[in-house]
Amino acid sequence: MSNTQLRAHPLGDTAVTITFGADRSAELLHRVHSATRSLKAASIPHVEDIVPAYLALTVFYDPLGTSYEEVSRKLLDACNRATHSMPKGAPSREHRIPVKYDGVDLEAVAVSTGLSVEGVVASHSGRIYTVDLLGFVPGFAYLSELDAALQLPRRAQPRPRVVAGSVAIAAAQTAVYPLDTPGGWHIIGRTQTVMFDATRDAPALLAHLISPCRTEGGSTRGPSECRGAARWIYSRLAP
Amino acid sequence: MDLFALGAVNAVVGNSLDAAALEWALGGGAVRFDRDCFFAVAGATARATVSGKDVAPCTTTFARAGDELLVEQIISGRFLYLACDGGIDVPSLLGSQSTYLPGHFGGYEGRMLRSGDSVRLGARPTTHPAEGFHAAADLMPRYDSGIVHATPGTQEDLFDESAIRTLTEGEYKISAASDRTGYKLEGPVLANSLGTLPSEAGCPGAIQVPGDGLPIALMADAPTIGGYPKIAVVSEADLPILAQRRPGESIRFQLITIDQSHRALKRRLSDMHAISQHASRS
Repeated sequence: MSNTQLRAHPLGDTAVTITFGADRSAELLHRVHSATRSLKAASIPHVEDIVPAYLALTVFYDPLGTSYEEVSRKLLDACNRATHSMPKGAPSREHRIPVKYDGVDLEAVAVSTGLSVEGVVASHSGRIYTVDLLGFVPGFAYLSELDAALQLPRRAQPRPRVVAGSVAIAAAQTAVYPLDTPGGWHIIGRTQTVMFDATRDAPALLAHLISPCRTEGGSTRGPSECRGAARWIYSRLAP
Repeated sequence: MDLFALGAVNAVVGNSLDAAALEWALGGGAVRFDRDCFFAVAGATARATVSGKDVAPCTTTFARAGDELLVEQIISGRFLYLACDGGIDVPSLLGSQSTYLPGHFGGYEGRMLRSGDSVRLGARPTTHPAEGFHAAADLMPRYDSGIVHATPGTQEDLFDESAIRTLTEGEYKISAASDRTGYKLEGPVLANSLGTLPSEAGCPGAIQVPGDGLPIALMADAPTIGGYPKIAVVSEADLPILAQRRPGESIRFQLITIDQSHRALKRRLSDMHAISQHASRS
């Protein structure tokens, strides 16, 4: 299989981002998820966490145990060797999320897209979306593929607070905000569905629907869905 | 937010460095101890007393059951840490005792403490530093320096040289719109060519640039993934310095290499190691 050139960049002094390509596609995302599984299976020393995304995966490493050059070389090697056959006959499951379309940006989205409000609602609700990634905040699932007619860039200025349950769109994706957070997407509706509950066995509602990940290990926990943002580097000194 | 201060204040009371402590932001307040307790405060500089006596920073201090720690005012810095011997006894959730305020989970009922709350302490350690032990000031980060070191970002090629120069030559003020998720910075606008990108991983310290060109430094509760381009990432070693800046205060960024950043982090860890060693021998 022909690989485009993978590239490594530092993300600060504790992480490496490996970029797989420049254009978003289902195939590229699949390669990223496959490489994530391969890296997890490879147990490369000093690797602490792997965060897959649309064009790249990011590996957090222990800077006390390795250098950026060493870890990025090992990761590039491992990613280049990763195979990415599509999962065979993985059952597709669906989860329905009831939405009330009354978001603050609904009319602005209609204006920007040239659709009527009813057209926006029909277009958004009339599709089945794939869970691409989990990330941003706990339980936030990036869903695709939005109808081309609805695709708008993110807002230039993020809102300081978007309320939990807000249903929003940006570029080719849609999502439900699981918590009250800042957010830069266009809000078109809301849902009562609880996307994340830290006390559930599987806290993130849609984690099991990330298709490339559900074929291995039977884990219901998606990649990095629960990763605490604060790394506790000083605990390495604890007696 | 200031993980160095958290580790140091735990070392000073004989706890493991990652024991749960109270993080106290900007305002004052009071805590009454309901058992004898060795405690310490660190991070921000505060005017604090226990039973009318001044409490020195990062110093092993004894309080009797019934004594009251009064934090009159945080004089400089933003986050004060209060550690008690035995640590704060709250359940561990998803591998952490921290409070995640946006999700209303973790820590003490997933929320900030309120007047009248009663927080349980853990079992006291068998040994602890002698009363009056203090972490040497020169082992703590230089909170007053105002210089924050950073390494070039994953997406630095999206920014032209003038944007990188602007970031490092300009002075940035911490905006009032700053919290545990991110510090919005006010200063020279940074041009970026793409606006937004397909989402990819971020981390605490990542300096992202939204469409308005005003950078946001992500902090402890940073999103795991985001779509704004990142021009640079604050060195792990200097995150405590940035965290302790208040709204209205200024910083300057200085770019360093990854290797330099690793060396700075190793120095920071060796300072923490020294504090921990001195504490265990006192």
